[in-house]
Amino acid sequence: MYSEEFVEQGAAEFDPYAYYPSQSEYELHTGDPRQDLEYERQYQQSTYIVPEVIKNFLVYFQKCVHEQNLFEIQNAYENGFNKLTDRFFKNSAWPEAEIIAPVVGDDPVFLILYRELYYRHIYARVATGPTQEQRFESYYNYCNLFNYILSAESPVPLELPNQWLWDIIDEFIYQFQSFSQYRCKLGKKSEDEVEHLRRNPKIWNVHSVLNVLHSLVDKSNINRQLEVYTSGGDPDSVAGEFGRHSLYKMLGYFSLIGLLRLHSLLGDYYQALKVLENIDFNKKNMYSRVPACQITTYYYVGFAYMMMRRYQDSIRTFSNILLYIQRTKQMFQNKAQLYDQINKQNEQMYTLLAICLVLHPMRIDESVHTQLREKFGDRMLKMQKGDVLEFQNSFSFACPKFLSPCPPNYDATPANFHKEPFMQQLKVFMDEVTQQALLPTIRSYLKLYTTLTLSKLAAFMETSEEDLRNHLMCFKHKMKNVVWTGSCSGLEGEFQSASEVDFYIDQDMIHIADTKVARRYGDFFIRQIHKFEEVMKTLKP
Amino acid sequence: MAEAMRAHVAELLKGIDRYNPENLATLERYIAVQAMENAYDLEANLAVLKLYQFNPNYFQTTVTAQILLKALTNLPHTDLTLCKCLIEGVRLEEKPLTKIIELADLLESCQFKLFWRVLQEDPDIIVGIQGFEDSIRKFICHVVGITYQTIEKEHLAELLGGIPDAQTNQWISKYGWKIEENGQTVFVANQEENIKTKNITEKITFENVAQIMAR
Repeated sequence: MYSEEFVEQGAAEFDPYAYYPSQSEYELHTGDPRQDLEYERQYQQSTYIVPEVIKNFLVYFQKCVHEQNLFEIQNAYENGFNKLTDRFFKNSAWPEAEIIAPVVGDDPVFLILYRELYYRHIYARVATGPTQEQRFESYYNYCNLFNYILSAESPVPLELPNQWLWDIIDEFIYQFQSFSQYRCKLGKKSEDEVEHLRRNPKIWNVHSVLNVLHSLVDKSNINRQLEVYTSGGDPDSVAGEFGRHSLYKMLGYFSLIGLLRLHSLLGDYYQALKVLENIDFNKKNMYSRVPACQITTYYYVGFAYMMMRRYQDSIRTFSNILLYIQRTKQMFQNKAQLYDQINKQNEQMYTLLAICLVLHPMRIDESVHTQLREKFGDRMLKMQKGDVLEFQNSFSFACPKFLSPCPPNYDATPANFHKEPFMQQLKVFMDEVTQQALLPTIRSYLKLYTTLTLSKLAAFMETSEEDLRNHLMCFKHKMKNVVWTGSCSGLEGEFQSASEVDFYIDQDMIHIADTKVARRYGDFFIRQIHKFEEVMKTLKP
Repeated sequence: MAEAMRAHVAELLKGIDRYNPENLATLERYIAVQAMENAYDLEANLAVLKLYQFNPNYFQTTVTAQILLKALTNLPHTDLTLCKCLIEGVRLEEKPLTKIIELADLLESCQFKLFWRVLQEDPDIIVGIQGFEDSIRKFICHVVGITYQTIEKEHLAELLGGIPDAQTNQWISKYGWKIEENGQTVFVANQEENIKTKNITEKITFENVAQIMAR
């Protein structure tokens, strides 16, 4: 039942992607038990027919891309592709590019884009994940894509929706992350696979990834554009030939976020924040209309601030984005994968916020605070009591999947090599937690008094007066964080203390000041009144 | 010389060039210059640590030690934490890095007297870092300045490392603190100004509710 066409395309050995050409959309059982069994076995090994509806979709999709019709491309990308995935390829791969190539006239650019979707789908939905071969091929495909975009003499005639551009950068780094962890786990690999890895150090090499991101940033002049935009000017005036083109500009912007993520994964929080120094997070900017990008950005920024002991900045960052997610959650209901991812990041950010508030208690938005208390009340209580394990667990759950930039020693790798970058960051975090171990206890005693002698507090805490003086100095030192005060770069800031409980020592007396903030009702009521009015408006005929 | 090198180094760290291990020689020399001349450049130092992270064969313990000590001179900034995040755990267990981390821990938890004692056990560690002890004293005075309204002069001297009276007086005048009449206590700052009990009540301005009331 093979037509000659398909046999030519490499069905020589057993080809799991062998196709039966068919007019109908579904190949029904033939009635012959042996044939049916054979069919079912091959079907399970992801053999399938290329249905007409898919061929038609691909042709249509290609047309949209050629016509640079952004609206239709977005529609096909978000709805068309996903609907067909759910219908035919829920847990298996789409047809290989070679198979559908004739349908789209061997169009090289479209095939690169198709492969991007093809491999992304394998990573996301195929249970066994990508094979080593597929990992390598996906990498080559990205090289082709970025080469096409970057080596052109003039801007390439391609327009893609921002969501897709973000997804490309996001996935590119994700696959690099996945590969870095994959190559460290040598236990279950065959000799051949290890040899192949050893011989190809350039594949998914950290320098290549950095090179791509930096090149996109440079080509689009995005930093200059952002500088001018923030000071109220017209970015086009400094954009240059490529930067004026939306594809390059947005890829440049998303690459900055990509660098933020990459540096964070490697533990370089300073550099992570530095690459964003031209982005003004307070200005509602036109670059931030992709929700997934916003959320990812705020997650990594908040995490970097936390590791730098800038708890106030971290808390502010997380509160902002958690509010944003609360308000916009409705929008993602029908996009299952996005919804799951946002949910996960939501949970992680609440966890990190909980940690920061334990280390640096302060007032936050009422609605975020309520959610936090509901979900994390117990955990926060445990951490306040100094439960080290709780800190570790929370950190492990919420932190990024740290990586090492170097390949392992393929001949002799210790068992948990892939965990070492994580252990390293965990240690730094736990060192900080340990140094601050007594602070919650001190705080709780201070809250009870307006004045207190050193000797009395020392007795309460069962420590010597000298040690107590050290602890009190430590409290003051740790509570004074660098806080961002409004200049553009997120790295800048002044030392401030926003501790609700503050004190000073005069001779051997501690004088304590407590900041009591009355509950704020105004905002809440005003918001509810507005909401109610909206409802009334929709009810009126 | 540090100032002269600063601009040149900044160029090297632009864009993709910062990951080029061939720049290591220049950067390492720059760190030695910082140590000798009591200058400081956090970005350059972090860049070196990152190059070591990417190219473990080039890792140099002496240079790393210099970087960590320089980071301590910038307390209360969390530069040392940033450095630790870029250094493999196993490396931090080498001498003299363990000692430096131990000293850092004591400083972060404000156990200043113990810090000076531990440093005395192994003073060679800071050889070559110009002005290290004074930078630490600056940090200690900063912490004292935010914690105390008055402090015993003897106690202050201990915190600063058991320094002689004349030196203590120098630090006191440097920060504008005053020695009281009894010659024993030092008036640090009028903390009462900054640290007062506050009651923050909510103020609802008219503008906020005007919209709602105008129905």
